[in-house]
Amino acid sequence: MSDKAISHEYLNGLVFDLEKAFWDERGRGCRFRMMEVGRDIYEKDCKDRIQSPDIPVIVHAVKEVLIDKGIAAEVAFSQEDLTLRVSVRGCLHLPVEERMLEKGIEPFTCVPANLIIMGIEDKLNRQVELAEIKCENGVCQLLLVVFDRPAAVV
Amino acid sequence: MSETFTLAEATLKAIQDRRSIREYSPEPVSDEDLNLILEAARQAPSGENAQPWRFIVIRDEATRKKLGDISGGGSGRRFTAEFMTKKMQQRFATLEDEAKKKAAYEKLTSGAVSMFAATAPVNIVVIGRKDVWDLPFDTSAAIENMLLMVTALGLGACWVIAPCIDVRDEIRLRKLLNIPDEYKAVSLISIGHPTRPHRPRPRLALKDIVFDETFGNPYYKE
Repeated sequence: MSDKAISHEYLNGLVFDLEKAFWDERGRGCRFRMMEVGRDIYEKDCKDRIQSPDIPVIVHAVKEVLIDKGIAAEVAFSQEDLTLRVSVRGCLHLPVEERMLEKGIEPFTCVPANLIIMGIEDKLNRQVELAEIKCENGVCQLLLVVFDRPAAVV
Repeated sequence: MSETFTLAEATLKAIQDRRSIREYSPEPVSDEDLNLILEAARQAPSGENAQPWRFIVIRDEATRKKLGDISGGGSGRRFTAEFMTKKMQQRFATLEDEAKKKAAYEKLTSGAVSMFAATAPVNIVVIGRKDVWDLPFDTSAAIENMLLMVTALGLGACWVIAPCIDVRDEIRLRKLLNIPDEYKAVSLISIGHPTRPHRPRPRLALKDIVFDETFGNPYYKE
């Protein structure tokens, strides 16, 4: 196997092709099937960093991982009751979403969002929905809603 | 006096009379009726006759409640997202009765719209082997056969995707029912005796959905 570094352009090209194929196959329903994307990263890199079951702690742990790994440049969030608004600046995968938008397809998956959601489901045992992804001017605005329902099956 | 139908007439009547029924009387579904419903499913077409479908029959009250919870969770999340992003309000824009609108929002965002598996006398979870070419199409054919047999028997059913559409809910369902990874959980069919008749939902006219030889060339001319 070659030890050459692989370009982001190549990887994002593949991600775009896969996302587009999935959209062509499932249409709007595909967003529901993407919530496990990033599971490996959560289990290996995020889970043990989360020191307490608090949403700010969870978001901060995910933010550290994203920045350390070069996946995002900055992550900020605000919380109002059970609504989380997260902004991700400089996401590695933003070019994928920009290409999707050029095709008239609204973004339907987000690794930073998924990692935060996995953290809340895991540490707080609360269900979460990724309600909206808006990508503009290099920033992705995410709307997450936290529910009182337990995440684990009892 | 009972009506008589040709086979084609009876088939079309079952198709046209089918409704999505979410409210059921406490009367159980008989084993004889259940056997006919499952036989109808078994006779569906499948790619290469792979017959990838498997059916899990759920009557246990506690399990039915958990099915209702999983379904309600999925629907509640999805519809709350619609509400938070104003898409639901757009959907109901033409509904002028504010009380009805508010009730609809509540029913959808709470997930109550999908929790009726808990009260259905029997639920059938349809799963399908993944190692076939045409899993979603095969299992959908089986499901429609089930729904038509339900209708022919005078029962009511609803095809419920809520406990399976989000991968996280599918994981919950798989854990609840010990479904192996080689199978996909496709849908839930809730079945019982309907409490009341239901009106048909609107349908697009044939002239708007059928094309002659190529897309866009109407088959049914005005």
